[in-house]
Amino acid sequence: MSEQHHRPPEPNGETDDGTDTEHAGVPFAGTDLRIGYGGDKGPVVDGESITAPAGQVTALVGPNGSGKSTLLKGLADQLSPESGTVVVDGEDVQSMATKALARRLGLLTQENTSPESLTVETLIERGRYPHRGFFDGLTDEDLAAIDEAIDLAGVDHLRDRQLSSLSGGQKQLVWIAMVLAQDTDVLLLDEPTTFLDLHHQLEVMEIIERLRDDSDMTVLVVLHDLQQAARHADYMIALSDGTIQARGPPGDVVTEDLLASVFEIEARVTPGQQGPEITPLRPLHED
Amino acid sequence: MASDAPTATEGEATADSRAPTGGRFAWLDRSLATVIVGSLVVVALSALVQIRYGSYAMTYGEALRALFDPDVLFDATAWAYFLLGGLFDPSALLDPSQWGSIIVGTRLPELRPGTLIVWNIRLPRVLVALFVGMNLAVSGAIFQAVTRNELASPFILGVSSGAGLMILLTLVVFSGIAVFLPIIAAAGGAAAFLLVYAIAWKNGTSPVRLILAGVIVSTVFQSLQTGLFFFAQDIGTVQSAIQWTTGSLTGTDWEQVRMVLPWTVIAMGLALVSSRQLNVLLLGEGTASSLGMNVERVRFALSGVAVLAAAASIAVAGIVGFVGLIVPHMVRNLVGSDYRKLVIGCVFVGPALLVSADVGARLGMQVLAGSAGQIPVGIVTGLLGGPYFLYLMRRQEQMGEI
Repeated sequence: MSEQHHRPPEPNGETDDGTDTEHAGVPFAGTDLRIGYGGDKGPVVDGESITAPAGQVTALVGPNGSGKSTLLKGLADQLSPESGTVVVDGEDVQSMATKALARRLGLLTQENTSPESLTVETLIERGRYPHRGFFDGLTDEDLAAIDEAIDLAGVDHLRDRQLSSLSGGQKQLVWIAMVLAQDTDVLLLDEPTTFLDLHHQLEVMEIIERLRDDSDMTVLVVLHDLQQAARHADYMIALSDGTIQARGPPGDVVTEDLLASVFEIEARVTPGQQGPEITPLRPLHED
Repeated sequence: MASDAPTATEGEATADSRAPTGGRFAWLDRSLATVIVGSLVVVALSALVQIRYGSYAMTYGEALRALFDPDVLFDATAWAYFLLGGLFDPSALLDPSQWGSIIVGTRLPELRPGTLIVWNIRLPRVLVALFVGMNLAVSGAIFQAVTRNELASPFILGVSSGAGLMILLTLVVFSGIAVFLPIIAAAGGAAAFLLVYAIAWKNGTSPVRLILAGVIVSTVFQSLQTGLFFFAQDIGTVQSAIQWTTGSLTGTDWEQVRMVLPWTVIAMGLALVSSRQLNVLLLGEGTASSLGMNVERVRFALSGVAVLAAAASIAVAGIVGFVGLIVPHMVRNLVGSDYRKLVIGCVFVGPALLVSADVGARLGMQVLAGSAGQIPVGIVTGLLGGPYFLYLMRRQEQMGEI
């Protein structure tokens, strides 16, 4: 692991004092979370604690149905946890007003709909919703935030296009710009690269790294692609069956043993220039 | 904004398209301005036809002169008669026992016959059509956003079936209280909406659940309504019921203007200030919620505004179909799906459609069959709306989603 380029993870417990010597940014943590959809199936996530180190990119990985999206929804207060607390910069998420929370924490799910005859700029403007009062027009601050978001997401050339004329990858960049216009300290992204072509996948990951480097944003991103997570994240959390199996820097989390136990694949892991490199070999079958 | 003032080389197109985030009147772009002006022209021309033609013959010049007759325009008593139904007596305000007689009955001042016909008979009908069109169009636009379904109309959440059932019940069973029919019909629509919401509610609602609950309630109420027709005693009751359930402006008067105007002002005001909520709601519930919107509360409040507008129009014109479905479509085609512009567009296009359709309802039979009979305006809007919808369907590929 000597080639590890990633910065060391925060020591556990940085949520207690909130200050951080190495990275600016806001700590984000959930404690003892039980999250589910009610009914008799029991909670999807049962009593897990999760910390996204301040000002870093944390990747949440796990096989299909492992509870990644559920955990993310619970953390964003879109699904009220049955028990447990989520704290953003020392404030309890559940006790915050919805708009106040939306000014601290942004969430991009896979469940958005794009009204087709809307221009890119108008969609991005919607990201300012939590910052505006009921009767307020757009302030200079709003306009500046919109411009900055457009800049960060690199969609200036699409600004006046209608959403219906965009490709899937372009749409995703525009949606990211919309959450960026929200101007939050913490950003949660649910599989932002799934279904995108490689070019746009890399664009998205580049934006995420820019957010960490230039804006000190705390990013928690669900990624489907392990290799992508290993390469771009500072910190990884592996989830299966609603239980966290491993957490730490990619070099510690991505091991042949973990790939076998959590992802049920046989794979070779070799240390590479940019984090561990995974060569999947074959699926493992329980017997 | 770095490029607030585009350089000359960027050309006019760029300056235009960059307008949306700049300026206070950013919502007023060329397409919306065209829609507004076009609608105003249609309303003005239709209104002129409506006040000229009728059993009292007039020329266009006479009609215009009657419309702008200074004897009415500058007469406070006449305006009080039209808008309040009588003179306002401020002294009665102080004594609660006198509150019943705050409005003292009065007569219209002496007017020329043409002026009297235009102002007292023909103009109020145009005004009622205008307000009804406005209410239905905006109500439909709101429901299309709330249910995120382009095929939603003001009546999708059971409003028309509830109103229809109450109309039939009142006319057939409780004919003694038929004077309150407008209020009963509106209340029936609102009650059906609440019932739909209650049925759809299970830890919150969703567009699909709301639409399904609307279908369920409508089906049951429609059956009951149709069943009640069998108990109608005479053909007059049946005709009256049909007029109410298809929507008609026959016989509307200043009383209807007074009834619909305040609710229209409230509903339109609320709809216009809510356009930002509608815009965010359109992005999907998940997105709206993560942007800090209390989705359930906003959705219920917006539906309430839409039901208020629909109920106000039912109270004066019965159940006029298709306007609330078609108008938001037409406007969306012209100005796009930004609700800031869409709601404003509906406020103008709704009246244009209904006022012009009412020309057909009032005078169409005279032209076609030479008879003086009138048909319910709801029939005309259906005849216009169906083919237009077909045209839209053939032209657009992905219809159904906003």
